[in-house]
Amino acid sequence: MPQNNDTADATYRSRIEKLREAMKEFGLTAVVIEPGPAMVYLTGVHWGRSERTFALVVPLKGDLGFVLPGFEEKRARELIHPGAEIRAWQEDESPYQLVARILKDRGIVSGRVGMDPSVRFFIYDGVRKLAPQLDYVSAQQVLKSAGVDTTSSTSKRK
Amino acid sequence: MTDGIQPIRAEERQARIEKARRLMRENRMDAVLMQGGASAFYFTGSRSNEVALMFSRAALGSWSGKVDLASKVLKDQGVSAGRLGVEERVRFELVDRIGKELPALEFVSGDPVTAGCRMTKSPAELALMQRANDITIACYRAALATLREGMTQHELSATIAVAYQALGVEGDAMAIFGKYTAFPHGSVQPQKLREGDLVLIDDGCSVEGYQSDVTRTVIFGQPTQRQRDIWELERQAQDAALAAAKPGRTCESVDAAARKVITDYGLGPGYKVPGLPHRTGHGIGLDGHEWPYLVRGNKRLLEPGMCFSDEPTIAIYGEFGVRLEDCMYITEDGARTFTKQSPAIDQPFG
Repeated sequence: MPQNNDTADATYRSRIEKLREAMKEFGLTAVVIEPGPAMVYLTGVHWGRSERTFALVVPLKGDLGFVLPGFEEKRARELIHPGAEIRAWQEDESPYQLVARILKDRGIVSGRVGMDPSVRFFIYDGVRKLAPQLDYVSAQQVLKSAGVDTTSSTSKRK
Repeated sequence: MTDGIQPIRAEERQARIEKARRLMRENRMDAVLMQGGASAFYFTGSRSNEVALMFSRAALGSWSGKVDLASKVLKDQGVSAGRLGVEERVRFELVDRIGKELPALEFVSGDPVTAGCRMTKSPAELALMQRANDITIACYRAALATLREGMTQHELSATIAVAYQALGVEGDAMAIFGKYTAFPHGSVQPQKLREGDLVLIDDGCSVEGYQSDVTRTVIFGQPTQRQRDIWELERQAQDAALAAAKPGRTCESVDAAARKVITDYGLGPGYKVPGLPHRTGHGIGLDGHEWPYLVRGNKRLLEPGMCFSDEPTIAIYGEFGVRLEDCMYITEDGARTFTKQSPAIDQPFG
């Protein structure tokens, strides 16, 4: 278990497994999640939202991918369970590019990608421009089916 | 410290909407969609989380109301097949819903309109920001007077929040001690203040929604020569950014000016640590961080009325970090800080 994460490893893995079962059922190839209740429930990672993109990509197959700011990498690693791939972006680089690359590297070049309903427009807009062939749909039902309550308010930070 | 605060007047908000309409026409948007947050407050003066629409045609006015009605309103106003600018923080679920109800509608970034209006501040806005900065300095003065051996970072944070309350505003700050000051946003690791530690406090308060953001790094006890040298280097980097922030220069040139000081000393380069691991500053206004950013790649030109933080952290993992942050506003003659810069490692206030 990472240093600053209260979710046991087995819990984390079983929740991701359950999410993937739901993704299969609903026909989603990946789910993109921002910090908030869904990220906390699934991974135990608490992170404040800011203008700097911090995103989790859960592909149907392959390693989870976290996209996060380079200068926060050390602090973030204390929170993230081992096994997930971490891709850091520097201040003048595009985080959307990293999200798009994770999708591509996992073989996701078509089909439906679920968005955490609370994902902010600028992240969705940035990713869809780089991967316009994908169909972006709400992941609300999938998350609900996997046991995530997405209706509670998400954490906000200036 | 809250006497005589002048909230933004209705006339000023109306002028903002008129400017937004001009920017919508220039950027071929038929309307802009917002939901809560600073942009909606900027234009409407309301903190509600209802959906808000501003139409480019003045005759169509503005609308705010329940989520369920947004698509119908767009349709009734003849915008069901146009281009809708979306405020950056609008959530996917809202866009998805409207997109299903109005499949011919095109969604584009609303930033050219919302950020386009918000990034240059009026005299009334600058006055509110000045007040927020003044209050933050008063708060920090009170809080730093309470430093004592063994204190935890949480105690210092709590003291700052209480001081803000006493000053009549909402505000908070993170506090970081010792080697953890190398992490720009601190660490959850428990920290107890010891002789020779650097103390870093950072954040701000809000006056009529306008934010302050000030960082001070100060020595508790006697500094080492290394701490003094790096502190001085930090101050020089901050000064370089301030001197570079002139109207007509690019945002990235301000970052480059601060970074050059640090690189010339032998740290970095780029974002490498030991060095400056992040951009030199961010815009500030109704959001603590907002457009535009002082970052490499940003060719936007500085204009009078823009406000930025000037905060080139020097991070040395395993040792310590130093960040001095004062916010500045751009005038015809150059940048001016809202707060007096820290003159020395043992003098947080000028």
